[in-house]
Amino acid sequence: MIGAELAWQWRRPRTLVTFGALAAFAVALTVSIAATGSSTVERVGDIPLYLVPGRSGLVVPVIALSSTMKFFLPLAVAVFAGECVAGEAAWGSLRYGLARPVSRGRYLATKLAVAALLSLVAVLLVPVASLVVGVLAFGWHPLTALDGGASVTGGAAVFSPVTTVARIGFGTAYVALGMCSIFAFAFFLSTLTSRPFVAVAGGVGLTIVSRVLNADYLPGVAAVNAYMPNNDVDLWMHAFQQPAPTDGMVHFAVLQLVYVVTFVGLAWWWFRRKDVLT
Amino acid sequence: MAPEPAVEICGLTKRLGRQVVAVDGLDLRVDTGQVMGLAGPNGAGKSVTLKILLGLVRPSAGTVRLFGEPVRPGASVLGRVGALVDGPGFVPHLSGRDNLRLAARTAGRPVDDADLEHAVAETGLGTAIDRHYRTYSHGMRYRLGLAQAMLGHPELLVLDEPTTGLDPAHILEIRRMIAGVAERGTTVLFSSHSMAEVEQVCTHVAVVRHGRCIASGPLSQVVGPAADLEAAYLDLVGGDRPVS
Repeated sequence: MIGAELAWQWRRPRTLVTFGALAAFAVALTVSIAATGSSTVERVGDIPLYLVPGRSGLVVPVIALSSTMKFFLPLAVAVFAGECVAGEAAWGSLRYGLARPVSRGRYLATKLAVAALLSLVAVLLVPVASLVVGVLAFGWHPLTALDGGASVTGGAAVFSPVTTVARIGFGTAYVALGMCSIFAFAFFLSTLTSRPFVAVAGGVGLTIVSRVLNADYLPGVAAVNAYMPNNDVDLWMHAFQQPAPTDGMVHFAVLQLVYVVTFVGLAWWWFRRKDVLT
Repeated sequence: MAPEPAVEICGLTKRLGRQVVAVDGLDLRVDTGQVMGLAGPNGAGKSVTLKILLGLVRPSAGTVRLFGEPVRPGASVLGRVGALVDGPGFVPHLSGRDNLRLAARTAGRPVDDADLEHAVAETGLGTAIDRHYRTYSHGMRYRLGLAQAMLGHPELLVLDEPTTGLDPAHILEIRRMIAGVAERGTTVLFSSHSMAEVEQVCTHVAVVRHGRCIASGPLSQVVGPAADLEAAYLDLVGGDRPVS
């Protein structure tokens, strides 16, 4: 069932457009950096890191991941998760999918697996595409990061290309982990509504709420900041500091797990009981 | 030993929220080989009953059995049933053929077992089967819906208002299609708010009103001395006209 589901989901226009847009972003970013002047120092993220793209193409995936993790990737993940069941309900094909000798649990598991796989591909596409385009444009050289944080004063960390790729891999995995809460919430909404837009908007909305209730910008919300699903998605950038602090990463992973268990569990509970009237 | 009825519904009740009782203690039996019409006005509870029959809606009370097996979501007996309820529902950017293949695969059966070509031939889709579903006319969409219902030669065909919104030529073709399927021994449960349509298509009829079955049996028995089924219905309900 997963193979059949993946085969048609892969060919959907929204899948191709989403993947195309993310890959195009990598190209546009590289062209933009080259046009601006590749020797310009780029301030990346809230950590922040200062990187010079012209010295290594490996800077591009770091910038691309940092630029997409707060909106583009949550949007892509919310599209895949929010549409997977609600989209079928909107077309009227959900009732035919369920009027078959296939348990609802199996049906939902198939939808979950395929939406998760497409979301993972979306997250991987950003660093992979930008790595290829960045290296083609600026070369395969060691990456030099100037740490703008208070922990290091004027330090410059140099990473070999292999180490840089490994740390980009870690960053990608961390960002993928950070998308789990948004995925789970949009997936749950997808089982509630027959309007896919509502589920997608809900997933994006959670990201926005999380960003608004961020103690980095609004110290007064510190009490809830620790429970917001998306605020610490940028901690992977510490991997480009020396030494690389890991504070908050375990908390972030546990928080993602709590969101996933809660909302996928609710989706499971509800979908197995719901009346399919439309 | 007599064969199990294709459909056996006892005391079926469905409440939607606290206020609405969509189905209210409905009893119905459909024996194999019958073409049973579920007739009644809009809002009588026909569609909800059919959705309970397909495991889409959970009953508040009562029992539903298909070929002697209790119905629940995903029950294996649903593999013996084909359905068209609330109109067709397909993936717009896939062709009709790919939609049917997908339907067969997601039902957990090999495409070859579904006998897709037979279903396509039965419904007269012709070369349109390879066009994108979104390019289909209303009538073509219903034909594809019927083709999906016929995949795998189901023993029971559940059709909920299968001619809604169709022009007379399409209605006639769909009626012929149903007659052809029934001649080959498939049991058909057909709902319609049009008494005239039920009278033309069905061998048996169950009249449903306010979620209850108020009369059922062979068509001639339910019509009785009345001029037609609509007149018989009006006699049964005392002048409350159905929508036709």
